[in-house]
Amino acid sequence: MKGRIFILLIIIFFGFSCRNSKSKTSEFVFPKSDSVPVSEAEKLSPEAIADISKNISSPVEIANLLQTLQVPFSQNYLAISIDANKQSTSFDKAIKLGILGADLGYLNMYEKTGSSLEVLSSIRKLAEDIKVGQFFDFESIKRLSQNKSNLDSLLFISIDSYNKIDTYLRSDDRGQLSALMIIGVWIEGQYLATQVSSQHPDKVLSDRIGEQKIILNDLLMLISPYCNRDPEFTALCKDMKDIKDKYRDIRITYTQGDPVSVEKNGGLTIKQTETSVVNMTKEQLNGVIDITKKIRDKLILNN
Amino acid sequence: MKKAIITLSLFFTLGLLSFGQVSDPLISNCVTNAGANAKYLKDFRIQLGKANNIGEFRYKANMSLWKNTKYRFTMCNADNSKGQLILTIKDETNKLILSSLDKKTGKIYPYVDFECQKSGLYQISYDFTDGQQGSGVGVVSMIK
Repeated sequence: MKGRIFILLIIIFFGFSCRNSKSKTSEFVFPKSDSVPVSEAEKLSPEAIADISKNISSPVEIANLLQTLQVPFSQNYLAISIDANKQSTSFDKAIKLGILGADLGYLNMYEKTGSSLEVLSSIRKLAEDIKVGQFFDFESIKRLSQNKSNLDSLLFISIDSYNKIDTYLRSDDRGQLSALMIIGVWIEGQYLATQVSSQHPDKVLSDRIGEQKIILNDLLMLISPYCNRDPEFTALCKDMKDIKDKYRDIRITYTQGDPVSVEKNGGLTIKQTETSVVNMTKEQLNGVIDITKKIRDKLILNN
Repeated sequence: MKKAIITLSLFFTLGLLSFGQVSDPLISNCVTNAGANAKYLKDFRIQLGKANNIGEFRYKANMSLWKNTKYRFTMCNADNSKGQLILTIKDETNKLILSSLDKKTGKIYPYVDFECQKSGLYQISYDFTDGQQGSGVGVVSMIK
């Protein structure tokens, strides 16, 4: 178990469906309309929304990638300026719950569990404020944070807590808060990736940033039903659309191939020979980096 | 008797220390079974009755998988399962990418490692052998 880490995934998610992409055999393209119509989003069943939520990949996959690329940990990437006591609306609390969840995943991946206690306290406050504190197993997480030998358990419980929060919010007819939390997670993961990319340029990392194009429509579909709910949601919808605009000319193409299987140590290993290829210029990458930073910095401002 | 109680208490405490309030030991055991170098991502709890017809796998979920990432899919069965948990993964074009059941030999692999080279949405499907009744867990982890 030593040295093993389980990642804090928060809930989940970065979905990636191609419900809106009709042709994906050779290239991923956005749907023709600039945004997902509200009416289409409203048609989504609760099961479809849950599916989108649950198939969104974890920001800890980004953190794992950073570790693989031997990118050093930096506290500067974290949203530690967030003061949980200064968040006045449910909107602020939910989206920051997501942002801090992503940060917790990053901290845990790098085994910075001492630093994570401060983030944990903020998470608990925010969770309690939106009446989901009962699902966040703070005491166990805190105890495990102080014992590095149980990092995997820490992350496992953290993920479980976030999953429960997400499920409960949707079942409690507060899907808007679930959507905010998911978007908070994604934006912070995206911020982490883009900031590292600007300081430690790497093709694998920039490809991962470019591939986020695939999930943007799902994120928009999650938030679309609430875009006219209040000015905060309206502004967030616009921000998400601005991000999508930056991705418009980034191309993702696919090459064909059949998987190759190898039996090894009693298990089976499948090597995929099909590939996805990101075609993104430096200017396009910079555009994504800039818009992500602008939006994320705006979101973490205290009220 | 006293010794047994102490031993049980110790196991219980260690269990709590290891996995806090995770209520399903099958999940925590399966996470552990994934291996020391595996980083937990997600789990699927599968409980199915006997199938009327054997065909498509009955438990389906979508999951995004990313290029340049090596995933491990671990399957674990509850003691009272009549069938063994098996997995298939298909891509967005419904192309079969992998199966934990080798149809030619009948061999069932307890885990499958997948070296993903194409980012996208994949359909993860589970069922029990021969459509039998069963209870199990599928754990998804990342490995180096």
